[in-house]
Amino acid sequence: MFESPLFWPAYIKGNALFVLDETLVPSKLKYIPVKNVKAAVVVIRDMKTRAFGQFLVVLNTFLLELKPKGDLVEHLQKVAYELNNSRPTFPFAEVTGIIVGAAQKASANGADIRIAVTKTVQGFLAGIRARRLQRVQEIADVMQDQDSILTHCNVSGELAMAASVAAQQGKSIKFFATETRPYMQGAKLTVWELQQTKASVTLVADNAVACLMADGLVNKVIIGSDRSAANGDIANKIGSYQIAVLAKEFGLPLIVLTQPSRGVASGADMPIELRDPDELLVYGGEKIFGSKVKGFYPGFDVVPYQLITKAIAINAGL
Amino acid sequence: MQDYKINSIYLFQGVFSSESLKKIKLLKNAHAFVCEGRPCLEAGHKTSSILLKRGITPTLISDNMAGFLFFKGLVKQVNIACQYADDTGALCDTGALILAVLAKKHKVPIKLLVAERKTRFLGDPKSILSFEGQRIAPKRTHGYVPLVEWVPVKYLK
Repeated sequence: MFESPLFWPAYIKGNALFVLDETLVPSKLKYIPVKNVKAAVVVIRDMKTRAFGQFLVVLNTFLLELKPKGDLVEHLQKVAYELNNSRPTFPFAEVTGIIVGAAQKASANGADIRIAVTKTVQGFLAGIRARRLQRVQEIADVMQDQDSILTHCNVSGELAMAASVAAQQGKSIKFFATETRPYMQGAKLTVWELQQTKASVTLVADNAVACLMADGLVNKVIIGSDRSAANGDIANKIGSYQIAVLAKEFGLPLIVLTQPSRGVASGADMPIELRDPDELLVYGGEKIFGSKVKGFYPGFDVVPYQLITKAIAINAGL
Repeated sequence: MQDYKINSIYLFQGVFSSESLKKIKLLKNAHAFVCEGRPCLEAGHKTSSILLKRGITPTLISDNMAGFLFFKGLVKQVNIACQYADDTGALCDTGALILAVLAKKHKVPIKLLVAERKTRFLGDPKSILSFEGQRIAPKRTHGYVPLVEWVPVKYLK
C-alpha cells in the first residue's frame, strides 16, 4: 500500500516539529522546522501545509509548548487562542478545546499536566492514523473497475493510497485532477501523489469540469472537506460548490470525505476566509494582470448536503 | 464580502470582442467580475483590458470561484463570449457551461455576446502544465485542454 509523504506531513523530532512544505512539492520535499506556536501559526496561515497537515500542526504544537513556564494551563490556553485564530474557516477550536480540557483536568486532579497533554495528543494521533487507514479501504471500495474519477482537493494522501489499494484489487481506474487555482494544489500535489501509485491521471483546468461531465469523460466525483456541519453541509476548497452543482446536473455521484462535527448547525454558520487578492493576481513576485485590476479570493466553498451523494466519514475522536 | 451586495455582480466569461462589450452597461454600484480563463489567462487579460478602457474596474477571479458568487446570491447577470449560436445552443469558450448551469440553478439571466475570435476545439496539453511560463505539474503529467464547449439551449433560456 502506497503511503505518500502527504498522508502524514508533519512529525516531531527532538524539540521541533517538521512540517512538509507542500508549496514546494513536487519540486522538493522540504520540511520546515517549527519550534513554537508563533511559527506554527505562520505555516498554517501561509498554507505551507493544508487541511490534515494543519490538524497535525495544531495537535503537535501543544507538545512543543509544554515548556517550563509559570502557569502551564494558562499558557496552553493562549496557545489554543493563537491556533484557533490562524484560519477562520477551520474548526481548530474543537481540537484545541480537548487538549486544554485535558490540561485543566490534570491540573485540578494534581496530576502532571505535561504527561496528560502528551498522552492526549499522542492518543489522538494514533487513533486518527488508524481511522484514516480504515477510511482508505472504504474509498477503495467505492472505486469500481473502469471508473473515471474527477477529484478536486481530496484529503492529503488518502486518495492516492486508495488508488493503490484499488489497483492491487485489480481495478483499472482513471483520474482527472483539477489544477485548483490559485495555489494549484491539484496540479502540484494530487497529480504527483497519484503518479507515485502509477495511476492514470490527467490534469484539467478548473473551467473544464463541465466539459468533462457533458462529454461523459468522468462517471464519479470524489472531493475532500475541511469542515462539516451538523446537517451534513461541508466546506471544502474553492471550486467545490460548482463541481457539486454540475455533478448533480449531469447525474454523477458526488462522494465527499468528511470529518463529522456538530460544532455548527449548517454551512451558513461557517465563516469563509477571504484571502489576500494578491495570491491570485501575483505569481513569482510579479503582477500577472494590469495594476488596476482588482482580485477577489474566497478560500472555500460550502457544499449543501443535498448535493452530496455519499459521505465517507472519519471520526476525529473528539 | 461586505463590499458586495446581493445581485450586484456582472460576471464575464471568455474573450469578448471590443465591440460586443460596448453594449454592456453596469448599474450604479454594480461590479464587473472576470473569470481569468486558464490556461492562457486570455480572458483575464483581454476582457479586463477592454473593461478598463470603458472606465470599468474589473475584479478578477479564478475559474473555480464563480460558484461561490452564485451561492452567495451576488450575481446579477452572466455575460458569456459566444463563437457561434443556433436554436439548439451556443459554442462558447470553455467555462461557459459551468456558468450556464449555475445561472439556471440560481435563476440568473445570461447574455451571449460575440467572442473575439474562433478557436480550435482542443488546446496544447502542455499549456495546462505550466503557469506564467513556469512548470507546475510533475514530469510525465498528461493534460487535457478543451478550449470551447457546447452550451445547450436549455441553460440559456
